[in-house]
Amino acid sequence: MQVTFNILRQQPQGSPYAQHYGLEVEAGETILDCLNRIKWEQDGSLTFRKNCRNTICGSCAMRINGRSTLACKENVSQEVARFGTQAADGTPQITIAPLGNLPVVRDLVVDMAQFWDDLEAVDPYVSTQGRAVPEREFLQTPEERSRLDQMGNCILCGACYSECNSKAFNPDFLGPHALAKANRLVTDTRDTQTEARIEQYNSLDGVWGCTRCYQCNAVCPMEVAPLDQISKIKHELLARHDKTSSRPIRHRKVLVDLVKAGGWVDERKFGIYVVGNYFQDVKGLLSVMPLGFRMLARGKFPLMFEPSEGTAEVRSLITAVQAYQQAQDSPQEPDSV
Amino acid sequence: MPALPLRYAYFPGCVAQGACRELYQSTAAVTAALGIELLELKKAACCGSGTYKEDSQLLEDTVNARNIALAETLNLPLLTHCSTCQGVIGHVDERLKAAQEDDPAYLEQVNQFLTQEGCSPYRGTSEVKHLLWVLVGDYGLEALRARVVRSLSGLRCGAFYGCYLLRPLSTLPYDDPVAPQSLESVIEAVGATAVDYPGRTQCCGWPISSYATETSFKMAGKHLQSAIAAGMDCLVTPCPLCHLNLESRQPEIEKVIGTSLNLPVLHLPQLVGLALGLDPAVLGLERHVVSLQPVLAKLRLAAA
Repeated sequence: MQVTFNILRQQPQGSPYAQHYGLEVEAGETILDCLNRIKWEQDGSLTFRKNCRNTICGSCAMRINGRSTLACKENVSQEVARFGTQAADGTPQITIAPLGNLPVVRDLVVDMAQFWDDLEAVDPYVSTQGRAVPEREFLQTPEERSRLDQMGNCILCGACYSECNSKAFNPDFLGPHALAKANRLVTDTRDTQTEARIEQYNSLDGVWGCTRCYQCNAVCPMEVAPLDQISKIKHELLARHDKTSSRPIRHRKVLVDLVKAGGWVDERKFGIYVVGNYFQDVKGLLSVMPLGFRMLARGKFPLMFEPSEGTAEVRSLITAVQAYQQAQDSPQEPDSV
Repeated sequence: MPALPLRYAYFPGCVAQGACRELYQSTAAVTAALGIELLELKKAACCGSGTYKEDSQLLEDTVNARNIALAETLNLPLLTHCSTCQGVIGHVDERLKAAQEDDPAYLEQVNQFLTQEGCSPYRGTSEVKHLLWVLVGDYGLEALRARVVRSLSGLRCGAFYGCYLLRPLSTLPYDDPVAPQSLESVIEAVGATAVDYPGRTQCCGWPISSYATETSFKMAGKHLQSAIAAGMDCLVTPCPLCHLNLESRQPEIEKVIGTSLNLPVLHLPQLVGLALGLDPAVLGLERHVVSLQPVLAKLRLAAA
């Protein structure tokens, strides 16, 4: 079949421009096969990273038809069937662009320095004490080891980083790849820095910077589910801190408290409790006052709150689940000998 | 129109009962006008908007299994009108339906909590549907087109989906999560013009607005500016949380990005309601922080 590749190209210090390449392809050819053929048969100047051709090395991540993925993982017929876009001449069109959130070096090659720096910031190695070679091996049960599998599958391709909404607006955010790796180390029984690590991510550039937009989970080619890993670190932090410790933590705790109190979230109280810290944070309170007045002026401010008729049931349900979860989280009593 | 009257167990959610009361109003008005019957789940509870899961997956699953079981008791599909409620409750439904096969012990655990507290157990017999999907699939775009009595011709609308309507779910009934079109298809069916712009599938910034306020407002600001650059008269959203950040906080966003915006944002049923000839006041159009006057003027309607 005849396919048009619409590739976003860029020279160093130049502006991006689109270039079209027509190619006669087999339906099952991967996008990477096609890029190689364009480079070898039509235009040797087209620049992209590639290596294993087998979704293992993570080199060929790029934006294909609007999302970040591996060029060696996607094939022509699936792209055409899924997106159905056409070039001006009526042939099926596949659009290719470099990863986002990273500066372009040339064409589809991006400068990944910041990506590696962000990874390095989480100290992505089992802690020093764990690295010291003891007299016998570090023992880990198969079950303990299996808890690392999902995060361990990361091939550091950069697809999640490219689509991350938080990274796009907060350059200091650690990023989904680094936080997924962080949870791999927090979960590792051989690591001796667990508590210090968990605290390291207790910030707006750490786990609380994530907007939960699900982009990282959606594009990860290895099903690492970075958002789920970030949630697990948040869970550890929520178990260790009360609602006076910070606004992001208060945000979570107040939401659950308000559901227990009324089934639904009473948004008036939510604002005062979370941002105003129960009337203690005057600056915080003042910061939401203009919003309150604006909403009052437009008849938008909720003057009443009607609790759910199921409030008592829900409160009791949440309390039961939380008590069970707390028992699960607390350290097990050693078996009596 | 569909042969049988459409009936749903209606999950109103927190925001439509609070800061976006106009969404509650307009959903009621539009469904009544279309002959769609809603039985409101008065005993339901907040879906957690992704926050329960940070407490524990079990908490998110249990509270929402209860919500779904309330709809199952009525033998009706559960209707949401919030992208976040849809993504959270819909994903729990997917996970628990899968658990019936893959992990029955987990489902048993969830149901034990429910029955212990006197709630009906989750059976996996319902469906979770957003109002957008009901309009596209159950009511049908042709039927909707036939009900249009007020011309929205020339009204340039940008769709803003909300993350949770696209990405948490493993299957979407009418959309590809990378290139969705369902909201655009409704905008076109009611006679307005759907205009593309970057950002329509991205995050509005709401979830971090209470503590990373500046970052949150920059996110919203960028999407609003892209929409304005594409010549939009308004945005249309199926998510009241997106609405809160993109609309109610627009004056604060303007201060952070140092640009005037003034872009009206409609809730999905408000746009549909206008096409059905409903009174702007019935749709709560006066209850917006950003005046809808330019939209109403374009449609030659008096101020609400």
